[in-house]
Amino acid sequence: MREPESRPGRGVLYSVICGRLCCAAVTLLLASCSPTLPVQREAQLKEGGLPGAPYSIVCVIHGDGDYLFHDTSGNEYKADEEALAGAKRVAEENPHAEVFIFHQRPRRSLLFLVSQRDGEFYYYRGGRLLANESYWRDQEVSRLEPEVELYIRFRADNRRATVSVFLYFGHEIPELNGTGYDASYPDRAFTVQDLVDGLQGFTRQSASFDLLVLSTCFGGTPHTIGALGPSARYIIASPENLHLSYFDLRPLERLHLSLQDGDMPAFAGSFARQAFNRLTSDIQTAVSVAVYDVERVQEFLRSVDGIYERTLTTVGGETQAGGAKFEHCDCADLPAYALPTIQAGVDVLYRPARFGRSTGKQVHSGWECWRERQAQPATSETTGPGPE
Amino acid sequence: MTARKTYGVLIMLGMMMSILALPARADGKGAIQRYFSDAACKVKATESPSEKRDILNESLQTMSTALDVVGKSASMSPGDAVGIDHVRALIQEKRDELAGRNGYSRVPDGQLNAFANYVVQDMEQADQLITISVITLLLIIILIVLLV
Repeated sequence: MREPESRPGRGVLYSVICGRLCCAAVTLLLASCSPTLPVQREAQLKEGGLPGAPYSIVCVIHGDGDYLFHDTSGNEYKADEEALAGAKRVAEENPHAEVFIFHQRPRRSLLFLVSQRDGEFYYYRGGRLLANESYWRDQEVSRLEPEVELYIRFRADNRRATVSVFLYFGHEIPELNGTGYDASYPDRAFTVQDLVDGLQGFTRQSASFDLLVLSTCFGGTPHTIGALGPSARYIIASPENLHLSYFDLRPLERLHLSLQDGDMPAFAGSFARQAFNRLTSDIQTAVSVAVYDVERVQEFLRSVDGIYERTLTTVGGETQAGGAKFEHCDCADLPAYALPTIQAGVDVLYRPARFGRSTGKQVHSGWECWRERQAQPATSETTGPGPE
Repeated sequence: MTARKTYGVLIMLGMMMSILALPARADGKGAIQRYFSDAACKVKATESPSEKRDILNESLQTMSTALDVVGKSASMSPGDAVGIDHVRALIQEKRDELAGRNGYSRVPDGQLNAFANYVVQDMEQADQLITISVITLLLIIILIVLLV
């Protein structure tokens, strides 16, 4: 059957639509591949008129993984999005700070053809958003190089900076191996050493951060604290599991008031206490928040460095073989670590899980180690009838 | 007519590709988390302690059965098998605690809501779920849907 006379008209219409779609695709492609694409720049940063920044906060939020969690009402949240909102609030509530926020997102492609940028950068100074750019994260080894580049490009000529804080939000950072940390880059590794390399980039122009907040699970291991030590004076971390609602960031708001006296140990203690209080009000699993005075923990770290690294090598080999023979435990439970110096320089806030096998554990040393997985008591059934 | 069909097919393909481009692993693990969160909401919406206990036990037992079935698959990779074993052990621990078996005191009636929250939060923190492949996670979810 023949089509009516309108057929040539439709052909033209299809051609026009195709042409417009092609133009849109090319535009998207060019936009996506261009090396730098400022989405928003409200001011020329090097010009005068901007407030000084005696406080500097760098915030890296990893969002390329399983970061879903639920509150007690059943509402769903994405941990990275919540952390981003908290970091932005901190930035807006600090009239005397510059705040760098890096949101590491999953790799996405438009119709499998056009790769989209997998990082989002926000730069605030004086409580105002001055720059917002999407960027490409490291495409091979992950050492925060693009983040360091942006930091150097935007940072204020900050000779008067008195306080610097670094925050990392994400899953447990592997001490070894680290493959699969990014869900959308399964072959790429990210380890504690990679974070250390990144931190060295950030601290190139200043000796170290005054405070480093590691908002991850199992951040308080001898290896992790030892490796991060040269980059920070004080470290706040969770030696055990940390719920994805992370640490409460509100103490970082209005730093010019809370840190007026420059007393970083007191501020770190207060930050840890608030994080602990908020977590224990909602969370039924174990809650642990520790503050490490990097200088004072060195003696303990030197004492256990050899044994811990040997254990780590064994654990790494086992993990690569696909097994799970080891599990985390409090270092104080292992005789080799139960030294008089184990508590030196560590302030720990700990509450055991409300349920489970460890409800009777009332204290934690603040140091998390590895041990061979312990067999649980034999179970009477696997899928048998219920409890009633 | 042919051109219209072609555009239709292209639009459908685009939609399918967009859906497939979503992070499947997150959805797999997320579906299991939602399963426990939904069970916890049901527990909290119920007044009767025995009903709360039934809901909790049923949700844990269904998950346990699904893990058993998937774990017996001959094509299971060693990594998946280890992950499933650990998650199954986690679930069994919770069933034991709920019932007061194997060295556990039975969860008191007044703490069943808190225990339901504990199950959700502990499963969200379970690293073992991350080591299980997307396909296996999806299989578990399909089985749960069939069993419920």
